[in-house]
Formats: sequence, structure tokens, C-alpha cells
Amino acid sequence: MREQRRKDAVWQFTTYVFILVMTLVMLVPLYWMIVAATLPQEQFIQFPPRLYPGTAFFENFAALQERTDFVRSIWNSVFIAVVYTVLSILLCSMAGFAFAKYEFRFKEPIFYLILATLVLPIQLLVIPLFLMMSQIDWTDTFRAIIIPWLANPIGIFLMRQNMKSIPDALLESARMDGATEFQIFYRIALPAMRSSIAALAIILFLFQWDLFLYPLVILETSANYTIPVALSGLEGTQRVYYDQIMVATSLAIIPLAILFLVLQKQFVSGILAGSLKE
Amino acid sequence: MSTQHSDEETPVSSDGDPLRLRLWDRIRFARQSYTERMPQIESIAYVFISPFFLLFGLFLAFPIVYTVYLSFFEYQSVSSDSLFWIDIGPIFIDVPQIAELQFVGFGNYAHMAGDSLFWQSMFNTTYILLIQVPIMIGLALALAIALNASFVRFKGFFRTAIAIPVSANIVAYSTVFLLLFNEQFGFINYLLSSVGVEPIAWLRDEFWARKTIIAAVTWRWTGYNMIILLAGLQNIPQQLYEAAEIDGASRWEKFRYVTLPQLKPVLLFVVVLSTIGTFKLFAEPYVITDGGPTNATITIVQYIYREAFQNWNLGYASALTVVFVAIVSVISIIQIKIGGDD
Repeated sequence: MREQRRKDAVWQFTTYVFILVMTLVMLVPLYWMIVAATLPQEQFIQFPPRLYPGTAFFENFAALQERTDFVRSIWNSVFIAVVYTVLSILLCSMAGFAFAKYEFRFKEPIFYLILATLVLPIQLLVIPLFLMMSQIDWTDTFRAIIIPWLANPIGIFLMRQNMKSIPDALLESARMDGATEFQIFYRIALPAMRSSIAALAIILFLFQWDLFLYPLVILETSANYTIPVALSGLEGTQRVYYDQIMVATSLAIIPLAILFLVLQKQFVSGILAGSLKE
Repeated sequence: MSTQHSDEETPVSSDGDPLRLRLWDRIRFARQSYTERMPQIESIAYVFISPFFLLFGLFLAFPIVYTVYLSFFEYQSVSSDSLFWIDIGPIFIDVPQIAELQFVGFGNYAHMAGDSLFWQSMFNTTYILLIQVPIMIGLALALAIALNASFVRFKGFFRTAIAIPVSANIVAYSTVFLLLFNEQFGFINYLLSSVGVEPIAWLRDEFWARKTIIAAVTWRWTGYNMIILLAGLQNIPQQLYEAAEIDGASRWEKFRYVTLPQLKPVLLFVVVLSTIGTFKLFAEPYVITDGGPTNATITIVQYIYREAFQNWNLGYASALTVVFVAIVSVISIIQIKIGGDD
């Protein structure tokens, strides 16, 4: 018995050490990034490095802002991601509603066609989309970044799955009260989907937020750059401004990290919903 | 539309009471709803799906088909000519030809066989994923089990801290790793030096450059996989563990004979998801190593990007894309096959 207790203690100790080490591994790069963003360049590149924050954040930020309008890029990214998320949710929930609650011809084949594209990597689309966008003169515009991805297969899949759980009797009684099909959709179906929509919103927002290859190809003028495109160009000049780069990465990472802390439940359900398989 | 019946065709009523007439109407209307009103509901469905389907067809289905088409051509230039036009009185639609192309048959695919950089990128991607995926899934599984153990305190805090990288922008975190692994002043070399290890030329050495990419991707996605595995663990019925305990199973036996078989579907899913994810790697090598040194970390997607948008071989890049998608699809199909067995 004592032997067992000793073994348990060793096991528990090892588990704690493992968890603590992994927690440090996950947090240290972020801490180091923040420290670097608050130090003048000279202090950052010295060896051994300084490991606690300084006070130069706003000077670094001003220097960064002078060199490239990074705030503009943040605004671009937020604008694109928010507009995309709202429009895509509307589109996907409308279509998901139809697939869940109506009978129409070719319903099954159409749905499986959409579902089949779920496994395809989106990089597949970059070349043809680039040619199409050049053709209709949409390169270097936000609509070229937003519109092609609105019809999101994950979105329609999630919405269909969840809207199936709305009782038919509820819709039928609304119909008897004289509601039109559109009223039924946005007065009954949409409000009932609140938590699924929150999860989907996070999936869609992060998808657009992290989109890199496609905007890299489409966007040309730096005033239109999204955060990833602007960041990837930051170290391109002769001298590398590490302090400014770390300010930029901090501005890209920390707001989302805070959002994650606040909306953790929705993030987790978004991850789990995105990983659903039938 | 749904109210037309009441005014037109129910004047006959046994006693002429308007109230009862309405009630009768409502009952009959409800009875009709599943049969006679069906065609009407059907057509509204098309209204609901058409915006989605229009965009789906234009920006998803068509580009897929067009990529396959493009892979049999050599790209010349952007074209301003019309492919065809529709002229119906007031409506004039001009559908432009997308690009000036020259047919090369299977030339692009044949070229791939002798393209050493293509094989190099295939090798790099496979090398990275064969090391990265097992390490990451192993860590994620260990973390999920540890954070599911009843004796661990502050679970919420640890779970949050470990999952926080899932919110990090891909390019931003890659940039942080670029500096973290800097040879002169990076934090990693500082750590090593503090335990007496010589600084490593992370980004200038083929072997270490690949390890840097692996470290970065593992940092970003371990928490993500941990979340999925943790949900899987929580779905395992507690009675199975209790039964195993009564049978005197050790910790390892409980893991081996309860946890692992019960978690198998989720675990397989996570493995396939990660394999595909790492196979699609682009931003990390683009930012951290730019494919170097001497192309040791160039991935397939990065090679496609270079061929398409730096060398403007859009036809050849399309052929590469088709092969790339075929491989991803095969991995997905294997997933569905294995998943289907359970």
C-alpha cells in the first residue's frame, strides 16, 4: 500500500512537471515577443538578451507606423474578416436552412457535391481565382478577398446539421400564423441557432484572418495589405528592424489572444465543430 | 399566397357562422400543408440556396475544373479577348477568355518527373510531416490525458495557456519564431548557451532549418489537437475505468486497454487532420526560411507558389496543384475508410 502511494506521488509529480513545462513552452514565445516589442533595438539584440519588458513600446510603434501604415493593415484585416464572417453566416445559414427543412429536387446530390469540396485544400483555388480576378479587374480589392470564400462548405455543413434539430411543428405553426418563409427563417431558425452561429463565426473569422497565400497574390498596394501580407513584407528592406517587427506581431497576436481568453468556450466549440465528421 | 384559399373557395358552411368557418379553414389548411403546398415550399428552397450556390459554382466548382483544364496548357498571358458573348436585345453578356493558352497535352505532367525541385519539395514536406505529426500528436495526447486526470488542479488555467497559440495569426507567429531561432540573439540559443551548448545556426543549416519549422508548427497546433482529444477523452464512459480498476488494472493497462481503443476514432481523425495540415504547409517556410537553406525546407505549396507567381508558369503550377490535391484526397479517403471500420 505504501509502495502504491509512493508510486502515485511520483506519477503526480511527473504529470505536474510535464504540464508546467508545456505551459512555459507555449507562453514563453509570446512573453519574449512582448519584451522585444518594448525594448529599443540595441537592447534587444544584445547577448545575453534582456528578459524583462522595457518602456520603448510607443517609440517602436511610432517608428513602425512611420515606415509602413500597420494600423491601416490591422483595420483592413478586421474589416475584411468581419464583413466576410457576417455575409458568409447569412449565406451558409440560408442554404443550410433549405437543406435541413425543405424538399427540393437534387437535394442530396447537391449537398454531397458541396460536402466533397470540404476536403480540398483551398490552395487549389489560388491560381484560377487569380486569373479570374485579373480578368474582371478585381485584383487589389477587398471584394476579391471576401467574395470567393463566402460559399464556405464547412458553414453550410454545420448549419444544415444544427438546423435539423429545429422541430418542424414550430415552423408549421408559424406558417399557420401567416409568417412567410423568410420570416420563419430569420425570426425562428436563426435565433434558435445562436450558439452554432457563434462557433461558426469563430471558424470563419479565423479562416479569413489567417488567409495568407491568396491575399499575397491578389493585393498589390501596401495600403490594401492585410496583417499577414504586411508582416511578411516587413523584413524585406536592407536593415531589419526587429523592435518594429515585434511591435507588429504583438499587435497582430495579442488582441486575438485576449479575444480567445474572453470567448474561450466559443473558440473550443468552434474547433470541435470544425473537426466534426459525419 | 398562403391565404388565398379562405376568401375564394369556402363559402359553403353548415350554419354560416363566420367564426367556425375560419376554424374549419385553419384545420383544412393545416391538413393540406404537407401535400398541396409542397410545390410552393420547394420553389422557396431554391431562393434560399441560390446565393450560396451561385458563389459556390463561380468561385469553387468552376476554379477546380479550370485548374485541371489549365494543367494541360502553357500559360502565355492574360487575355482580353471574348470567349463568347450573349446578345439578347437589352441584355449583353460578354464572357471573357480567361487567359491566352497553348495546349501541351500531358507535357506539364511529364515535366514533373524530371523536375528535381518538385521531388525535393515532396521530400521536404514528407520529411517534415513524418517527424512533426507524431511529435505533436504524442504531446497533444499526453497533455489531454494529464489535463483530464482527476488530481490535477487549475485545469482551466493550464488548458487555456496551452491552447492560446490557436489564436495566433500564422504569419505573425512565424515571424516570432524567425527571431526566436535567430543565431545571434535568439532566445533559443540563449537558453542553450545558459546550459553550456554552443549556439546553433538554426536557419543556415539544412538539418536545423527543418527542425525549426517542425518546432514552429508544433507550437501552433498542439493545443488545437489537445482540445479535440480532450473532448474525446471526456466521452469515454467512466464505468469502463471503474471496471478496469476492479480487475486490478495498472495505469498503463488502463491506458492500453480502455483509453486507446476508446479514443481510436478521434485519434485517427486528429492524425489525418494534422497530416493534411502539415502537407499544406506554406506560411511557415515562406516566412521563417524562405524555403532555404539550399531548398531544404521548400514545401509543395511553396513550390507551387514560386512556379505560379514568381516564374509565371501557371500551367505547370496547375499540374503541380492537381497532383498535390490528388495526394491530399488519397489521405482523406484513407481517413474515411479507416474511420468507417469503427
